[in-house]
Amino acid sequence: MITLLEAALLAFVLVSAAATIVLRDVLAAIVAFGAYSLGLAMLWLTLQAPDVALTEAAIGAGVTTVLFILTLTKTVRPPTEESVFTPINWSAAGVAVLFAGALLWTVPAIPAIGDPTAPAWTNPEVTQFYLESAYKETGVENVVTAVLAAYRGFDTFGEAVVVFAAGVAVLVVIREEQFT
Amino acid sequence: MSERNTERRERPYTESSVIMSTVRVVAPFVFTYGLFVMFHGADSSGGGFQGGAIIAAMVLMLAFAFGIEPTRRWFKNTAIVLLATGGVLAFLFIGIGPLVLGGTFLEYEVYGFKKATKYGIEGVELGIGAVVASVISGLFFAIARGFEFTEGQL
Amino acid sequence: MIDLLTTKYNYIAAILLMAGGLYMVVGDRNLVKKVIGMNLFQTGIFLFFITTAFVEDGRPPVIQEGTETYVSPLPHVLILTAIVVGVSLTAVALTLIIRIYSEYGTLREDVITEMETDD
Repeated sequence: MITLLEAALLAFVLVSAAATIVLRDVLAAIVAFGAYSLGLAMLWLTLQAPDVALTEAAIGAGVTTVLFILTLTKTVRPPTEESVFTPINWSAAGVAVLFAGALLWTVPAIPAIGDPTAPAWTNPEVTQFYLESAYKETGVENVVTAVLAAYRGFDTFGEAVVVFAAGVAVLVVIREEQFT
Repeated sequence: MSERNTERRERPYTESSVIMSTVRVVAPFVFTYGLFVMFHGADSSGGGFQGGAIIAAMVLMLAFAFGIEPTRRWFKNTAIVLLATGGVLAFLFIGIGPLVLGGTFLEYEVYGFKKATKYGIEGVELGIGAVVASVISGLFFAIARGFEFTEGQL
Repeated sequence: MIDLLTTKYNYIAAILLMAGGLYMVVGDRNLVKKVIGMNLFQTGIFLFFITTAFVEDGRPPVIQEGTETYVSPLPHVLILTAIVVGVSLTAVALTLIIRIYSEYGTLREDVITEMETDD
C-alpha cells in the first residue's frame, strides 16, 4: 500500500513535470525542472536509495539547472507576451499517447512494487551473491561502491572516460584552442 | 580605452553583500563535506561521483558570489586540466598494475599488502572524484566565457 | 483497475514521465526545451529501474548488523552511471545550442530548418 508521504511526493513530481511541459517561458520551465529534480531526489530516499538520491540532488538539481541558466544568458530568452501556456502540438501529442498506451499495456505483467516473491528475489544467484560476498571479498561495507569499483570496475572506467571526453568536446565546440 | 580598463579593475565585483557573506561562511563547510563524502564512499553512502559533484557545486557557488572571472583566475585552467587527466590516469594505472604483476585488469588482490582491495577501491574513487569535479568546473568556465564569433572565420 | 493503481503506481508514473519527455523532444519548437524534455525522459527511466530494485521492509544496501533484507544494489549502480553520463550529454548538447545560436541567431527549429533549406 502507498503511504501518504510517497503519494504526496509522487503527486509533486508529476505536477512539476506537467508544469515543465506546458509553460511557454523557458526560464520558468527551467525553474520547474529544478523543482522536479528536487522532488525526484526525495522520492529516491523513500525508495531506500541514498546513493542515487545524493547524486541526483547534487548533479540533477544543482549542476544541470546552472548549465541551463548559463545557456540562457549566452543565447536569448524568447519574449513571451502572448500567453503563459504553449499551444498543444497535436501530432506530437498523438505520438506520445501511442507510446504511453503501448507501454501501459505491459504494466499488468510486472510484479507489484516491493513484492518479495518476485523472480528477482526467489532466484538467489545474482542479487544474493553480491549482497553476501561483497564484504568477504572486498572489505567494503557499501555494496553499491563494491559493485561499482570492484565487480564492475571496467564500466566505471568507461564512465570516467566519458566525462573526460565531454569536457574535451565542449572545449572543441567552444573553439577554445588555448585552454591553459 | 585604458581608463575604461583601469576603472573596470578598480571597481570590484559585488553581486550582493548577503550572497557574498553567506558564501564566504558556508563554502569551507561544503568543501569539507564534499571531501568527507568522497573519502567515506566505502563504508557509507557516497563515493567519487557524489563527492566530486558537491565540490563542483562549491566552485559554482563561489563563482556566483564573487564573479566568474575572479573565480576562473583563482582556479586556474592548468589545475583543471591536471586534475582531470590525473584522475583518469590514476584510475588507469591502478587498473594496469595487476596486469604487470601477473593478474587480470583491476584485480586488486595481486597487490601484496593486506586489505589491498579496499585501498584500491579508495584510490579509484578519489580518481573519479577528481575527474568529475574538475570537468564540471571546467565546463562551467568554458560555457561562461562563451563563443566569440570573429568575422570571416567559419 | 484500482488494483493497478494501488500496487504499481510508480510504473505508471514513470511511463507518464517518459511520454511527457517524448512530447517535449518531438513537439516543442525551442531547442533548449527539447534538451529539458530529453532529461525528463531519462529521469522517467531512472524511476522505473529504482522501483524494480525495491523490496518491502528493505534497508539501503549498506551492510550493517541486524538487518535481514536489503534492496537490490545492482540497479543503483546502473542509475549512478546513467545520471553522470546524462549530465555530460546535457552539457555537450547545450554547448552545441550556443554555437547554433551564434551562427543562426535564433533558437526556433522551424526557422533554422527554413534557413537551411533556403541556402
